[in-house]
Amino acid sequence: MNAPERPESFERREPELPNALPRPAGEFEALKRAWKSPRGLSFITDVNNTYVGIWYVGTAFLFFILAGILALIMRAQLAVPESDLVGHDLYNQLFTMHGTVMMFLFAVPAVEAASVYLLPNMQAARDLPFPRLSAYAFWAYFVGGLVFFGTIFFGLAPNGGWFMYPPLTGTKYSPADNADWWLLGIGFIEISAIAGAIEIIVGVMKTRAVGMSLDKLPVYSWAMLVFAVMIVIGFPAIILGTLLLEMERAFDWPFFIAERGGDPLLWQHLFWFFGHPEVYIIFLPATGMVSMIVPAMAQTPLVGYRLIVLALIATGFLSFGLWVHHMFATGLPKMSLSFFSAASTAVAVPSGIQVFAWIATIASGRMKLTTPSLFVIGFLFIFTLGGLTGVMVAMAPFDWQAHDTYFVVAHLHYVLIGGMVFPLFAAFYYWIPVASKHALSERLGRWVFGLMFLGVNVTFLPMHITGLIGMPRRVYTYPVDMGWDALNLVSTIGSFMIAAGVAIFIYDLARKFRFASEDNAGNVWNAGTLEWLPNGQYATRSIPAVVSREPLWDQPNLSKDVEEGRYYLPGTATGGREALVTSPFDARPQYILQIPGAGWQPLLAAVFTAAFFLLLTVKLVLPSVVCGVIAIGCVIWWLWETDPGPTRPPADIGGGIVVPVYVTGPMNHSWWAMIVLMVVAGMVFTCMIFSYLFLWLVNPSAWPAQGFVPPHWIWAAIAAALYIASAILIDRASGNLRGEDRRSPRSVPVLIGIALVLVSAASAVDLAAQWRAGLSPSAHAYGAAVYALVSYQIFFVLTTLVMGLYTIARWLTGKLDSVRRTTFDNTMLFWYYTAAQGLVGIVVVHGFPRLTGGI
Amino acid sequence: MTALRTGQVLLMLAGLIAWALQFLLIYGATSTLCGREWADATFLGLGVVQASILIATVTALAATAAAFAWSLRGYRSAEARPVSAADRFMVQSAALVNGFSLIVILWQGIPAFILPACA
Repeated sequence: MNAPERPESFERREPELPNALPRPAGEFEALKRAWKSPRGLSFITDVNNTYVGIWYVGTAFLFFILAGILALIMRAQLAVPESDLVGHDLYNQLFTMHGTVMMFLFAVPAVEAASVYLLPNMQAARDLPFPRLSAYAFWAYFVGGLVFFGTIFFGLAPNGGWFMYPPLTGTKYSPADNADWWLLGIGFIEISAIAGAIEIIVGVMKTRAVGMSLDKLPVYSWAMLVFAVMIVIGFPAIILGTLLLEMERAFDWPFFIAERGGDPLLWQHLFWFFGHPEVYIIFLPATGMVSMIVPAMAQTPLVGYRLIVLALIATGFLSFGLWVHHMFATGLPKMSLSFFSAASTAVAVPSGIQVFAWIATIASGRMKLTTPSLFVIGFLFIFTLGGLTGVMVAMAPFDWQAHDTYFVVAHLHYVLIGGMVFPLFAAFYYWIPVASKHALSERLGRWVFGLMFLGVNVTFLPMHITGLIGMPRRVYTYPVDMGWDALNLVSTIGSFMIAAGVAIFIYDLARKFRFASEDNAGNVWNAGTLEWLPNGQYATRSIPAVVSREPLWDQPNLSKDVEEGRYYLPGTATGGREALVTSPFDARPQYILQIPGAGWQPLLAAVFTAAFFLLLTVKLVLPSVVCGVIAIGCVIWWLWETDPGPTRPPADIGGGIVVPVYVTGPMNHSWWAMIVLMVVAGMVFTCMIFSYLFLWLVNPSAWPAQGFVPPHWIWAAIAAALYIASAILIDRASGNLRGEDRRSPRSVPVLIGIALVLVSAASAVDLAAQWRAGLSPSAHAYGAAVYALVSYQIFFVLTTLVMGLYTIARWLTGKLDSVRRTTFDNTMLFWYYTAAQGLVGIVVVHGFPRLTGGI
Repeated sequence: MTALRTGQVLLMLAGLIAWALQFLLIYGATSTLCGREWADATFLGLGVVQASILIATVTALAATAAAFAWSLRGYRSAEARPVSAADRFMVQSAALVNGFSLIVILWQGIPAFILPACA
């Protein structure tokens, strides 16, 4: 029934068409009906990637405009010396919000948003595997982002710089709520980004056109896969950082207060372990876009496909070895700095590979000088200059001279605008014909490019000199006769040139962009990839089989055959929305995934999640908790409709391939998502262990804090035994659910219930042991670090509690049995993880002080 | 994923994983040894920091060289008999990634022999 994972060799053969004509009457209509959007106000409840993707991109672009306006105000302020257009406090908020909004509300969401729209189309999937998760991620970002931005109008915007260094952002120097808006506002937008990353990983690996094996995967998909994995590895560090700083501010737990054993450098490590990969997190998707645009414009396949994949993967790894190059001026040993210097120069190699591959592709074809081409050329020029200054600041001695000057401002804008904004504009011009009735104007596009290209160079090239002659970044004004006047004026003129370019783009967009799916502008570039197939709200009429990376070039009748329904799954097998899940390596059909349709649940869950965090920011604790509970309720309501079980017998999708409409275990898409989620949780926990060890390192004589005797080891042994026992019971429940013990199938909810009591008791014992031993979380960083680990574990136990009760509820209502057990499997995986994390936490909290403190 | 596929992915990423572990070890060792003022200790006639870096680098190089040799063998084998495009892609990519990783690991270890340990 299921196709084997390992195929025979079949590549480069034109596939036989799996379905014959004429198609049965009503088949196409049923497909369209399943994917039809709700009307009226309910339209916003649709979760189809076609809509969510466009809303998402639009919102990200809105934040680009808003953050750009903040930049223009700053440039106006700096145009002349001793200007009093804005005061220093507002200026602090302006540069903090500009950086924060550009990085967190524009750059990452924009590339994630583009992929929500593009990936399914490029891989000929009907949708991403968790469309409601995409919708949740979007709405949380939309609501939270707008409220966060609104703080600037009330003087409440964060003002500590986009990387929020303590002690400046601690309560001593920032007692107002401004910093909390950053910590809580950005913290949950990161959660939204992680939700999107999980969606992308599972989407790239499991929902592809038939035959789209890894060697035929579009480079954009590879880039998004690496991007999403990087989010999963990198974002937990900043989530933990924001959590620790907020706990310090709210409860006086001194993680970053030196007088009580904390260390502000811990924040810098956590921030930049996220912050540097962040640059590549936004750069790699942009390179993926360029790798799709260049072949279409040159009308020739991409040169060096394997080398580009190598470059993407290598960049993904190496970028995690660069974070300290933002901390060269903090007094770390030179040997340590040199490791990061070495990695910083090494990462230039894979970036260089990609640049040379694009140049070789351009050289091997006939590049049409369209607007997307111009933006790609602009990207190559600007990004390469940014890369060169990057190699300069990767050298510690040079960095010590340029640190915190306008040279760095120039460098980072060359990298980010060159490496992300120009490719994104290229992508707008290139892919808008897929989403709109009309392409954008080529004539106006050249104006947009010209103004933006000149504007970027006029703005930022002089800043290298401004920095080298001593102007520090983040000053709201400067005295006359410092030699900075003319350079600043030129930079300001340049910034308004960029704005003029963007304004023309918006005008053209308003004139030409008319959302469309079935009647879009079509394949105006004669591109070779699948997003240019004829499509509708259901994506493609049938799921194609492909034999190359440019199927539209190599399979001349593909568009027609797909549109006529001659490929796989030309209708709907279950009567609802579906996607065809394929094997991760060879893209062989595995099963039909029943996709949930429109619903209020993800929207409401997102709104109340946002409300939970935002109300917490302004210390409205009770309303915040109420919103949190409602958000959890909405998520449960949303999940209740999922895990439908085998509602239909296995279906024939064409070509004699019969696949099930429901599977469980490691083949199931939600199993994959749960594994990725556990990696995220594990990364937060790893960063927490790192923080614990870091604080130990800076407290040689106070670990544990002087006078404190850790709890007796028997408490650790009891807690560990309880965790192990709970996991064994869940394993037993799993076996009983499978029917291994037929005498007691009804024992499943009982076993889960007992396991719940045990796991709760384990964390309670662990917490009580520390508390009874007299450990205070606010007296010293040791206590703060211990309680942080214990609190994190309690959060997981509480989540396990909700999941366990939910699983029992599904059993009691007949929605869980030996076949329909995806819900149980997810709970089981999470349970094992919680127990394992609890055990590691116990070893660290109880074992490490004994190891190092001689207790 | 089958065991074979898991093995292919691990082989493809072996060199970069070795680099990550080398990086973690040399940075962790340097920070801990310097932070705890244990840098004056020696091991096999070398300063303990340099010795740690040398051991981590040689071990990572050896592991990556083995992965590189293994992937080259797989590559030659894939050329000699008909295999799926995905299989061929995986072994070719493994050879590229592991070859590149050898250079990166070597590059990463060089500072140990140029700079003083904890200055």
